[in-house]
Amino acid sequence: MHIDRYERYWLMAVVATLGAFFAALVATLVVFGVSLPSPAGRVNPQNLAASEFAEPSVRNIGGNRYEAHIVAKMWQFDAGPEAGSPPTIRVPAGSEVTFYVTSKDILHGFQIQFHTVNMEVVPGQVSQATVKFGRPGVYEIVCNQYCGAGHAVMYGQVIVQ
Amino acid sequence: MQATQVQPVLTRVSFPALDMLRSERNLVGVHIASALIALTVGIFMGPFQSFHRAPAFVNTFLGQIPVFSYYYQAVTVHGVMLALFFTTLFIVGFSYYVVQRSLQRQIKGIQLAWVAYALMLIGLAMLVFTLANDVQRSAVLYTFYPPMIAPAIFYIGLVLLVVGSWIAAFLVFWTYNAWRKEHPGERVPLAVFAIIVNYLMWFISSLGVAIEVLFMLLPASLGWIQTTDPQMARVLFWFFGHPLVYFWLIPAYVSWYTMLPKQAGGRLFSDPLARMAFIMLLLFSIPVGVHHLYADPGVSQVAKFVHAFLTFTVTVPSFMTAFNIGASLEIASRNNGGRGFWGFIFKQRWNDPVVASQLVGMLLFLAGGVTGLMQASAQINITVHNTSWVPGHFHTTLGGAVTMTFFGILYWLLPLLRGRALFSKKVALGQAFTWLVGMVIFGFTMGEAGLNGAPRRADLANSPYMTPEAGLWLNGAAIGGIILFVSVVLLFINLIGTLFFSTKPVEGEAPIQTKVEVASPAIFERWRLWIAIVVVLCVIAWGPVFVEALDFTNGFTAIPYTTSGAPLR
Ligand code: HEM
Ligand SMILES: [Cu+2]
Repeated sequence: MHIDRYERYWLMAVVATLGAFFAALVATLVVFGVSLPSPAGRVNPQNLAASEFAEPSVRNIGGNRYEAHIVAKMWQFDAGPEAGSPPTIRVPAGSEVTFYVTSKDILHGFQIQFHTVNMEVVPGQVSQATVKFGRPGVYEIVCNQYCGAGHAVMYGQVIVQ
Repeated sequence: MQATQVQPVLTRVSFPALDMLRSERNLVGVHIASALIALTVGIFMGPFQSFHRAPAFVNTFLGQIPVFSYYYQAVTVHGVMLALFFTTLFIVGFSYYVVQRSLQRQIKGIQLAWVAYALMLIGLAMLVFTLANDVQRSAVLYTFYPPMIAPAIFYIGLVLLVVGSWIAAFLVFWTYNAWRKEHPGERVPLAVFAIIVNYLMWFISSLGVAIEVLFMLLPASLGWIQTTDPQMARVLFWFFGHPLVYFWLIPAYVSWYTMLPKQAGGRLFSDPLARMAFIMLLLFSIPVGVHHLYADPGVSQVAKFVHAFLTFTVTVPSFMTAFNIGASLEIASRNNGGRGFWGFIFKQRWNDPVVASQLVGMLLFLAGGVTGLMQASAQINITVHNTSWVPGHFHTTLGGAVTMTFFGILYWLLPLLRGRALFSKKVALGQAFTWLVGMVIFGFTMGEAGLNGAPRRADLANSPYMTPEAGLWLNGAAIGGIILFVSVVLLFINLIGTLFFSTKPVEGEAPIQTKVEVASPAIFERWRLWIAIVVVLCVIAWGPVFVEALDFTNGFTAIPYTTSGAPLR
């Protein structure tokens, strides 16, 4: 099969570029430890009372590290009575928060604006993400997976002080 | 012409310059007409969605944006009618036309083709009915993820559409086999080759969504089962979902590879490399679907990175296409008198709507390709997943490359089918260029809105979390929407004009290639080999994902819910 000389150069350039992209992808994983949501356990959505989500909460687990358990349902995030509704999660600047989120009913999304937290929230599954809040500010938590009529008003806030 | 000797009973339609069988004209015509019905139902929602999401518009009109009242009904209508029905009906009709003309024979089992058409039409009617009738419960969007469950008729209609397309695929394979037996040693024309690839890929991948609908969603909707597994459903859906985008794109490639070079005044640069690109699409478009599941909790990182790698691989055939089509366009422009290094870009037949529409599609595809490659990178994906960025991206691919190429095809095919010249070339050119401007604005502003935190699929204007920046960008998207609305009106002027008011006879001929000039390696037509490789790749790339998604702890435990918030039963 005849391949034109310029086309050969073009293909080599393409393969090299794609190779570089992929290397960058792997580097972020290995070197910088960036991670994607991945299996973090399962729960029975009809019996959350018997799980770590029985009492949603935001807890300090020592130093500047926090753990948040959040239940998404139509059409609110439940992060416990202290956080209120819609939930307001207050942490000092420099905190590292690990979010555990699950859904009680249908699919939801969990995205924190301007931070690398963006997960599907699936009934039966636990979505987990860890993020460091460097700069003080108010960051919205957005449900970004369609969940019915009240979808566009399902939100919360992280206030970094 | 051999085929006519084999089947001498076929009658030809005697329009000038229209070399087509009557049976074929009717069959292709009904598919295109039905595709246009779906287009009409779906497309007007688009601009009004963009108005609904723009704070400035909603506040100016006190929320009274006309055309629809329930936002998610509109988005469901828009997605289902355009992404599922318009595309599939158009592609099936166009494929019938290309196969019959290129092989110069009637499709095998044409009665079955009519049965398939009837199924798809009933499916279309069912969807229109339920979307209009059962507004809240049907608003599950075109991805219909459980546990949100729609009325059964929603799924039955989609099943009919897919079964119809399977029959159409089978008839094309059958016709090809018959041709193959009579033409040993010859190469099948490139257009038919690509359509076989497309239907093979479509058939294999749609098994995923078929299992999802037949074993989870439909039984749940009918009340036969009480629970469903939402993570498994997403895995099954995206086994199908990525090949779906290539199912839309390959017919556009057929036009770019086999028709545009002639329409633009040149010839195709390389036929064998085109075949190689199509085979690569067949092999690599299925084992990449996890790139839609980067943000899912139930899929492991290993699978995500394997699919990320293969996603880069599946861009190679598109880069090959860019080169091949670029070179073909250069040949065309040199023939048209283009000079110098950049001459080939400008010396095109911009005043021919058939060519201009496709060039517009390609220009938009440049943006779509770059943004697509960006969001294929897992980390970038995490910042843009489910934000407005994503519709910004795919309106330049599906809404740009695919749609504008299909419109370009319509601008010659509709006159052939109707036997009258295109109503107005000027209006068609106006349509193409307003679409270009509108989509560039729409795509860019939606992308920026997404980066500023605006989610997709949300009735946003008064959302509590809307940032001022996102609001501004969404106002920009609505301006794109206005321009696109004008473009749609221009399209309909031409469609209606051509069908009912044009009096001039049709001119020119169909850009169909019936012979293959350059021999390509015979291995490209060893279909069993390719299918075997596809199966192996799928088992390797998808097997672990399926096993992992199986929920041994809970079984299928999540309860089906309706959109209104009340449990279904
Ligand atoms: C007239 C020009 C168009 C405009 C102004 C437009 C506008 C929009 C908008 C604003 C959305 C986002 C809805 C949301 O995320 O909340 C959307 C979604 C979508 N559009 Fe379009 N659109 C147009 C044409 C098209 C065409 C021609 C196609 C396909 C052939 C198409 C396919 C889709 C699909 C598949 C979605 C996703 C629906 C979903 O998220 O469920 N659009 N469109
Ligand atoms: Cu939600």
